[in-house]
This record gives sequence, structure tokens and C-alpha cells, in this order.
Amino acid sequence: MFSNLAVFQTSSAMAAHAGERQSVIAQNIANADTPGYKARDIADFTRIMRQSGDGMVATRQGHIRGEAPDIRARESRDSEAPSDPNRNTVSLEIEMMKSVDVKRQHDRALAIYRSAMNVLRASVSRS
Amino acid sequence: MSEFSNALSASTAGMKAQATRLRHVSENISNVDTPGYRRKTVPFEMRHSQMSGPDLVSVGRVRLDRSDLDRIYDPSNPLADDTGHYDGSNVDLMIEIADAREAQRSYEANLKMFEQTRDMSSRLMDLLRN
Repeated sequence: MFSNLAVFQTSSAMAAHAGERQSVIAQNIANADTPGYKARDIADFTRIMRQSGDGMVATRQGHIRGEAPDIRARESRDSEAPSDPNRNTVSLEIEMMKSVDVKRQHDRALAIYRSAMNVLRASVSRS
Repeated sequence: MSEFSNALSASTAGMKAQATRLRHVSENISNVDTPGYRRKTVPFEMRHSQMSGPDLVSVGRVRLDRSDLDRIYDPSNPLADDTGHYDGSNVDLMIEIADAREAQRSYEANLKMFEQTRDMSSRLMDLLRN
């Protein structure tokens, strides 16, 4: 019953997307001094939302429809970014900014989920 | 949930690599006056994990800096040759300090990511609580 409510789907997809992006950013930061490493990123949640059109949102293919997860497909490497002399394109400042973005997105998704849960709980409770 | 553990293991690998680097920098600094000492350098490498996990960073084999040793003029030194010179180390303190700073900065960035990921996952767990 709960899984059919679009607000739950959207917010949990948003939180899952935040987790995924956090993992990519953590890898970037861990490799900030690795020679030849190219910074990676995955698409914004809003862009994925827009592409999927309807309310049905999946951050990765296996998430809702039960297919094999394919994270690499949407990972992009920015080859145009300025690089260090050792051909590393990670900028700690940009990664930090992105991680704060992700954190806020995750908090927002959880807040929406919690609030929807409260509404649901109020509607089914007796008193 | 596995995304969070991927992020945590990536950050941990990063901190471990930076700590190893910092250890070698401190070895270099402590041996700055050791005759014939060559400074150690640690290369960072990407290690692809077997199962579709995250790509972790790790340190490779320690290499020695092959640049020329410092020739120090001190005829009274027992190591001095006929010209009164002996081989010092090729450690440049300025470079080592800069390297240590960079390692520290990267370590802090990894630590910050670790804390933030842990915070996110604990907030997720809080949803279950009430």
C-alpha cells in the first residue's frame, strides 16, 4: 500500500540517488592525489526526474523495476576539466560543495518521507 | 545501504593511503641529516575491486628518489673523501613539509566525507525510530 504512493516513491528514490552520488564523491575525494584519475559524477536528480516524465522515478534501473543495477551507465567523466600536472582532475573544493549538496538533498528527501509518513499515520490512527 | 558502505570504504581507503604517505614523509624528515639517505616516495594507485565495489585508492611500492645526493663539504667528517666532501641525503625539507600539508588536507577531506556519510545513514535509521 505504501509503495503505491508517489510521494514515498519519489522521496525514497531521491534519498537513494543521494546515497549513490555520495559514494561517487567519496571515491573522487579518496583519489584526489592519484595520478591520472578523472573525476566522476552522476546526473542530477532533477534531470533524471525530468527524463522519466511521469511520477515513476528510478534513480537506477534496478531500483523499482527489479532489473540488474547499472550505475556505470550514467557515470560521466569530465574530460574538459582542468587537471593537475599529474593529469588528476579532482578539485577538493568542488567535491566538498557537491557533497554538501548531496547531504541537503538526502535530508530533504528524508524530511519529505517523514512528513508523508506523519500524514498517513494521522489518517489511519483512531483518535 | 550498500552505497553508504561503498562511500565509507572509499573514504577509509583514502585515509589509509594518506596516512601511509604522511608516515613516509616523516621518515624522510627525520632522516634529513643521515648521510647517503635517499628520500622515499609513495605512488598512489587505483585498485579495482573484484566484485563491482568502489574503486579504492591504495599505495604502491615505495620508491627511492634517484636524484643526486647533496655533497657536503666537511673535511673533519670521518666519511669525507679526498676532496673533503661526503654524501648527505637528498631530502628537501621544503618539499617534505609541503607534501605533509597536502596529505593532511586530503586526509581531512576524506574524514569529512566519512563523517557526513555516517550522519546520512544514521538519519536514515532515525526514520525507523518514530
